[in-house]
Amino acid sequence: MRHPTEGTLRRLLDEPAGVPDPDRAHVAGCPQCLATLAATRRDADLVGAALATEGSPDVDAGWRRLTAALPAAAPAARPERVRPSRSRGFLRRPAAAVLAFGVVLAGAGTAAANDWLQVFRTEEIAPLSLTTNDLVALPDLSAYGDVELTGDPDVHEVPDAATAAEESGLDVPEVATLPRGVTGEPMISVGGQLSATFTYSADRAAQAAAAAGEVLPPPPPGLDGSSVRLVAGPGVAQVWSSESGLPALVVGRAVAPSAYSSGVPFETVRDHLLSLPGLPDDVAAQLRTFTADGSTLPLPVPAELATTSTAEVDGEEATVLTGNDGAMAAVVWVSDGVVTAVAGSLDTDELLSVARDLR
Amino acid sequence: MAGAVSGAVRSDLGEVFRRDYPQVVAVAARVLGSRDEAEDVAQEVFMAFGRSTVPAAEAPGWLSVAAVHTALNLIRSGRRRASREETVHRLGDVVTPDVAEAVLTREDRSRVRAALGGLPRKQAVALVLRHSGLSYAEVATALDMSPGSVGTTVRRAESALRKELTRHASSD
Repeated sequence: MRHPTEGTLRRLLDEPAGVPDPDRAHVAGCPQCLATLAATRRDADLVGAALATEGSPDVDAGWRRLTAALPAAAPAARPERVRPSRSRGFLRRPAAAVLAFGVVLAGAGTAAANDWLQVFRTEEIAPLSLTTNDLVALPDLSAYGDVELTGDPDVHEVPDAATAAEESGLDVPEVATLPRGVTGEPMISVGGQLSATFTYSADRAAQAAAAAGEVLPPPPPGLDGSSVRLVAGPGVAQVWSSESGLPALVVGRAVAPSAYSSGVPFETVRDHLLSLPGLPDDVAAQLRTFTADGSTLPLPVPAELATTSTAEVDGEEATVLTGNDGAMAAVVWVSDGVVTAVAGSLDTDELLSVARDLR
Repeated sequence: MAGAVSGAVRSDLGEVFRRDYPQVVAVAARVLGSRDEAEDVAQEVFMAFGRSTVPAAEAPGWLSVAAVHTALNLIRSGRRRASREETVHRLGDVVTPDVAEAVLTREDRSRVRAALGGLPRKQAVALVLRHSGLSYAEVATALDMSPGSVGTTVRRAESALRKELTRHASSD
């Protein structure tokens, strides 16, 4: 009989049952086919090894990212475990905690897409370079006290800007002229106020440090048992979608986050947290430069994701973030305690033009 | 993308996400060699899926196909993350126990992926789907071809990629 095709031999490697019996019988007794089969197997193994990948992704983190980028995600699709009341273990590390406040705020309705979850900050917007490795290397903040997210953002879609303004109490920015390629009506979402509280425990901190073989720096007087509460929102987001489902343009506005502390000044808490064992020196040094009197939080923009620059919008200094892959950019500024962001898959000039023409 | 509609997000998104996210990331990672980029692609794919009306039963195949195409598009667009090299570096050289004497260097793996981007789209998609564990019948359905021709298509792709590796090995 004729020799089976190379395609048949290839399938024989993966799914012998899918190859007809006569072909299998032929190959078993045909030196030429057996040689071809062996070569086919070598190529398949080699390519399989070259394309192999390791590890498995963090499904929870992926889901949080997706739902934050889908401001109008159906509530039924949101698993219980990401709801704020269950999120005690959600804020794990100092820098991740800072990041999480960005995510919280984004969840409060000012969300942009993907990498832009963490763009919203308060009175001043200050970029901070953090590499992914720094984030991974930071200690678990929950080892030093209790972290609790409170309040339900209750992000929901509203039919029009007037409703959004009424529910949020914010002036909903109006885009004067849509950039080229962006069309249609935006999806408008509103989110309420969110807060998170970290309560420091000297005992737990000492235990955690001892477990890591480190000596805990002496906590400032009065720190034990004191709390820092950060509040963000309400906020409004307008999202114009592109055909791919990714946002083409996002215009968000929210009441800027602020921090309140009980007992000791916010700076004291922050500086002590920064001195905890495990925080890379350079990151800690950068964090200390922030004039955090409760009015400034750092903006962690991973250096490999985006570059930052500044521009002027309505007399305010705005931070311009440009994704290193060129796919997304954002402009963020704060005025009178309200943070506004314009983001999208547009170039920086187009975004700045939208930002300056907001009414 | 086919089946995409604007507007509300489908109610089974969370369920499908939890079930299929690792597979979608794995498919994209085979094309890109970078976990971070693969997760970006998976986000984009689920975003599109969330707004689609694809029946839940067809979701795994649809998602895998969308992941391959999106990842291949990313290669071709040249809009890749600056962190790619770093990520690849972290993976390091991989010794594959299944392949006799085959030690694939980082450069080898980069070369194979570059060549993957240059293959005819059908070959590249069939190859990645097959190596991601889809059956011949599933690959055939995804690419609208007969199961019998899947083997031929995959074989051609593997042969081309192996030649790419050998060509460089002999010229070193």
